[in-house]
Amino acid sequence: MKKKCVAMLLAGGKGSRLSSLTKNLAKPAVPFGGKYRIIDFTLSNCTNSGIDTVGVLTQYQPLVLHSYIGIGSAWDLDRKNGGVTVLPPYAESSEVKWYKGTASAIYQNLNYLEQYDPEYVLILSGDHIYKMDYSKMLDYHVERNADVSISVIEVPWEEANRFGIMNTNEQMEVVEFDEKPQNPKNNLASMGVYIFKWSVLQEYLEMDERNPYSSNDFGKDVIPLLIEEKKKLVAYPYKGYWKDVGTVKSLWEANMDLLKDDPELNLFSQDWRIYSVNPNQPPQFISAEAEVTDSLVNEGCVVYGTVQHSVLFQGVTVGKDTFLKKCVVMPDAVIGNNVYIENAIVPSGMTIEDGTVIRSNPELEEVLLVTPDYIRQQQVAARDAEVTEKRT
Amino acid sequence: MNMSMLGIIDATAHSQNIDDLIQNRSMAAIPFGGRYRLIDFVLSNLVNSGVDSVAIFPKYQYRSLMDHLGSGKEWDLNRKRDGLFFFPSPHLHDEYDEFGSFRQFKDHFDYFKRSRQEYTVITNSHTVCNIDFCKVLKHHIEMGCDVTEITKEGNSLQMYVLKTSLLKDLISSYDNNGFTTLNQVVNEGRSQLNICEYAYNGYVSVIDSIQSYFRYSLDLLKPEVWKELFPKAAPIYTKVKDEPPTKYLKSSYVRNSMIANGCRIEGHVENSIIFRAVHIGKDTVIKNGIIMQKSTVGENCVLDNVILDKDVKIGSHEVLKGTMEHPIVLRKGSVQGVLIKS
Repeated sequence: MKKKCVAMLLAGGKGSRLSSLTKNLAKPAVPFGGKYRIIDFTLSNCTNSGIDTVGVLTQYQPLVLHSYIGIGSAWDLDRKNGGVTVLPPYAESSEVKWYKGTASAIYQNLNYLEQYDPEYVLILSGDHIYKMDYSKMLDYHVERNADVSISVIEVPWEEANRFGIMNTNEQMEVVEFDEKPQNPKNNLASMGVYIFKWSVLQEYLEMDERNPYSSNDFGKDVIPLLIEEKKKLVAYPYKGYWKDVGTVKSLWEANMDLLKDDPELNLFSQDWRIYSVNPNQPPQFISAEAEVTDSLVNEGCVVYGTVQHSVLFQGVTVGKDTFLKKCVVMPDAVIGNNVYIENAIVPSGMTIEDGTVIRSNPELEEVLLVTPDYIRQQQVAARDAEVTEKRT
Repeated sequence: MNMSMLGIIDATAHSQNIDDLIQNRSMAAIPFGGRYRLIDFVLSNLVNSGVDSVAIFPKYQYRSLMDHLGSGKEWDLNRKRDGLFFFPSPHLHDEYDEFGSFRQFKDHFDYFKRSRQEYTVITNSHTVCNIDFCKVLKHHIEMGCDVTEITKEGNSLQMYVLKTSLLKDLISSYDNNGFTTLNQVVNEGRSQLNICEYAYNGYVSVIDSIQSYFRYSLDLLKPEVWKELFPKAAPIYTKVKDEPPTKYLKSSYVRNSMIANGCRIEGHVENSIIFRAVHIGKDTVIKNGIIMQKSTVGENCVLDNVILDKDVKIGSHEVLKGTMEHPIVLRKGSVQGVLIKS
């Protein structure tokens, strides 16, 4: 059935810089904000923007992501006509066609789009934390009669070299695209949110696919090609909170951002709810000895110790006389008694033995990822230190 | 052995002693334990015991109960075959208004006729426990009983197990055999039936008055109680809300409390149960409080031994002090003191 706008959500990323957090799951499935997974933000944005047809392209470690998305009911995307469809790579006649890049992922699913014969296609990435009304961007796209609209955000000048920078003229038309420029001429970074005219998308994806030298990526190949061909590309300026949580540190920072008194990203607002698969857990229990301040705590947590400036996901246990500060503790982690942890992320399901002390080097401002490997290294180091001490 | 069970929840109960909390809802729908309604406990117990066809017989004010249960999805009861059924009574208040009244079942007799489950569990809707009905059924079969009554320390819990065929006989002949309720069958001794007792020794609380509601709510703060009511293997299901995690601000002081999602805690909370999306203002002190969904308490208040129903709004500098025996109850939606526009 015909749809005005269909969204294609790229969720196949590995997120290598998230280290062992993405060992068994794709980056969009990484837990965030005490309750959510990163992809919840994009899916909720779709629902809240009135987009009810979303293809989710998966590739890397899809098990957790697939079972999490299910039939999309958590985001109200279980629809008879449209709704969410998970689109993993598939085999065609003789070969399995892995998604080489973002553009080839969409190209290989043109048949999915054809069944809805949309006027516009919204391309999204499942890697970012932000709230955005895509319907306003679509209005802008239609009003400007653009071939492609690209959502851009002003980033600090000193960081502009980390992003894909859009150089625009006075009418906000994109005249040049610089991927991670050494000397940026502009500070408008692409957010990886595109709206295409369906006919333009089809034509250029086919053209890109025929080019053997292309890496089949929107940012690197398709957008520069469109600029070269003098297509009408306009930048859509977005204002508000937007964060790429690509590294352990930025993931931790984005969690800490939520603890501000008046955070830029407000999870409490009723008018733009972030939906997620709700774990069925009893309320959190804060014991008579516990102290919890300046923190976000989810259902199913049991706290006997002290928690300051931290984010606790569902089902976390914090033992007696334990002290947590500036920590992100992911679902079902069990932290024993007499533990001290500061500036760290504790991954899902980790057990921290009684008496463990984890402290980062304050001068390095590092954020520790407390994995079983990390704990083992600490133990070995402690043992070595003991041996050395005995010898001297 | 056929161990299949039909679940019947008699949700007709109505007690004047809990009047303040049932102005707009049935007892089955009274909020309890931070995020649940009373019916969630028996309903989840049935589902966890493998029951996949549950019929609810409500009578008064069942709008909020229906809204809560919806299609039964949260309990995995939105099935193509079997699932959740809702059978309101077509009669107004009358002498048949008793737990386990056969007439109310007869009004919906087709449900029993069409069911293929060998056994039936009948329970009330306002008992809080985490019981495995499979164990009761096993006992029932092993002892060769006709009707098994579940008891706690000698008192009936208004929970029964019997063969569905026997129940159908009792229902269809209630007007000529003299038994109009299940209670009569079990207690009047005129029948030829083999009546058994199953003594349950787990935690149970029956909520039928403001006093019992208050006392048993605060009972949840004992770890041995919540561990028994909320085991990982047999969860209590409820309607989910998309609330964010609860935010504890820098000024918060929370001790010995159970707190649901979506709250903003700026004040002092002790020995209390806080439901979803509650806001507690700065320098406010709450002790022994049951604060239900979406209620807000302003700054510098003192609340001691209180029950605030849903959507109650309390201004700043208010003092409300009840006692353990007589907590102050503010009805749903009431407003106390001057509200500062936020």
